[in-house]
Amino acid sequence: MHVIETQNLYKEYTQKFSKQKVNALNDFTFNVEQGEIFGLLGPNGAGKTTLIKILLAITFPTNGSAKLFGTDVKNHKAKTKVGYLPENHKFPSYLTGEQVLKYYGQLSGMSAGTDMNKRIDEMLGMMNLTQWRNTKIKKYSKGMMQKLGLAQSMLSDPDLIFLDEPTDGVDPIGRKEIRDILAQIKSRGKTIFLNSHLLSEVEMICDRVAILNKGDLIKEGNVDDLTKAENIFAIHTVDTLTMDVKQKVLAIDGNAGIGEKEINTEAGIDKLNGIIDSLRSNGVKIQTVNQKTSTLEELFINVIKKDNTN
Amino acid sequence: MLTIIQNTFREALAKKIFIGYYIFYAIVILIMIFLVNMDSVEGVMSLADSKMLVHQVETGFLTISWNLIIFFSLISTASFIPSMLEKGTIDLLISKPISRPMILISKYLGAVLFVFLSMVFLMGSIWLILSLKSGYWDPTFLLSILWLTLAFAVMYSIVVIIGLTTQSTVVAILVNFFLIFVLCPLLSVREAVIFSLVTNETVKFVFDFLYYLFPKPGEFRDITTSLINGEQINMWKSSVNAETSTFTISWLSPISSVLFLLVTMAYSVYYFAKKDY
Ligand SMILES: Nc1ncnc2c1ncn2[C@@H]1O[C@H](COP(=O)(O)OP(=O)(O)OP(=O)(O)O)[C@@H](O)[C@H]1O
Ligand SMILES: [Mg+2]
Repeated sequence: MHVIETQNLYKEYTQKFSKQKVNALNDFTFNVEQGEIFGLLGPNGAGKTTLIKILLAITFPTNGSAKLFGTDVKNHKAKTKVGYLPENHKFPSYLTGEQVLKYYGQLSGMSAGTDMNKRIDEMLGMMNLTQWRNTKIKKYSKGMMQKLGLAQSMLSDPDLIFLDEPTDGVDPIGRKEIRDILAQIKSRGKTIFLNSHLLSEVEMICDRVAILNKGDLIKEGNVDDLTKAENIFAIHTVDTLTMDVKQKVLAIDGNAGIGEKEINTEAGIDKLNGIIDSLRSNGVKIQTVNQKTSTLEELFINVIKKDNTN
Repeated sequence: MLTIIQNTFREALAKKIFIGYYIFYAIVILIMIFLVNMDSVEGVMSLADSKMLVHQVETGFLTISWNLIIFFSLISTASFIPSMLEKGTIDLLISKPISRPMILISKYLGAVLFVFLSMVFLMGSIWLILSLKSGYWDPTFLLSILWLTLAFAVMYSIVVIIGLTTQSTVVAILVNFFLIFVLCPLLSVREAVIFSLVTNETVKFVFDFLYYLFPKPGEFRDITTSLINGEQINMWKSSVNAETSTFTISWLSPISSVLFLLVTMAYSVYYFAKKDY
């Protein structure tokens, strides 16, 4: 069973007055498995929030269907083990931090009592909000609100958590803490679905990403695969390479690009080391070895550019 | 469900308007204490006298304050629905494992229960004052708690439907103001006033139709005062006795108003369950 499963999701918004139509999602089909941290990337207005809202039945798809834990999202029971942090969430401003957690905890189906209180203490501690617990959230800063929102989304210990821009407004230290918390949750077999613009961050924590542009799914895959695809190593030598050495290098990697003092290989770490061994045993001095990995950001920008010109 | 109701209470209590609401009640109660004092210093009255006096005071009080109390209650609760629908709030609420109809009905019941308890407080205090001062203990006045709450519940269904469709507190309040203070009183006296001016049957039909269509919070008051004074209530049609010029109210208005409530809430639930947020 997939944790999240979607079938040909379409979402069309009709602007109220202009009657203009916006295709927020176009034939979107994908799955998320248990224990994954899945990142959904895309420029502003790509349809990321729309997708989460459809998965939580906050918005209804024009066409297609979606399931959580095998239950159609139209059934509210599908949301029993789900946590959610909406973008720009707004809690009732007359509550204190602790009351917010109690309120949403109970709405998630937790029963008031010592267990819930213990869990609230734990979450507030985890988010460094303990000293603010009895302060009205009107007085919270943006980052504090965001942390409280995260605490809320994890409170009932859900099996699946949707986070829409979780680190929005949080300082670098807080962001690092949040990443650690997410990693810890994942290690307990929970699934996390994340929307973000912060690609370096996504790269650090996500296992798998999908890139969305104007409602189209344009790329999907493991973060490692996507960024490794362009793994190129460049070796620069001090000495000029002799014909004999060049032959030996080509024997290891037939596709290696060889210059006077430079070797480029895309054959992976093992062959790279083979080449280095061969160079050293032939007395060639190496100046530098560089890995040309494309970052997720480079990949993202390339892919979006390509898609927009098509 | 209880959680949402409880939070609705918190919301009501947290609002500034709530303070105004209770100050208003406190003033009303103080005025009652003052007035009733003047009445009872006149001397020892017979039980029958004091009974009549109490009934008169109660009827007078309800006549004056009925619509105001309902309107104040509506003002203090009108923002619940629009504030629930704010972006970032409604998303989170719907993401919880609660069905949408349940969310809306809980919110509605929360508001009704809040007003009910306020009525218990207000009417209970007034009843206590009157009873203590007069020595005449007649609980029928407490029926006004139920009838006021019911009248509020009916009018609040309008707030809900307008809140859902326009997300505006102001529009909801304005529409209610118009209904309570303009249209409903006008429709109630349509036979006496409008029909004496126009003879056109279609116009008459339209007014009759509107009369039966819209809820009539004011007539809930007439029912209550009739009950207090032990007057007769007709089953279906109100009647006017030309000789004594007494007006006899019928059960029709509460019945049609409750029907109105049910239809309005059913549509609201349907609308809420289908809408994208
Ligand atoms: N309620 C709505 N009515 C009409 N159009 C909408 C509505 N909500 C979203 N849209 C449109 O749908 C598209 C996708 O919006 P969405 O909020 O899903 O983008 P996003 O990827 O989350 O963007 P961001 O990164 O800025 O949060 C946009 O073009 C937006 O204008
Ligand atoms: Mg978004």
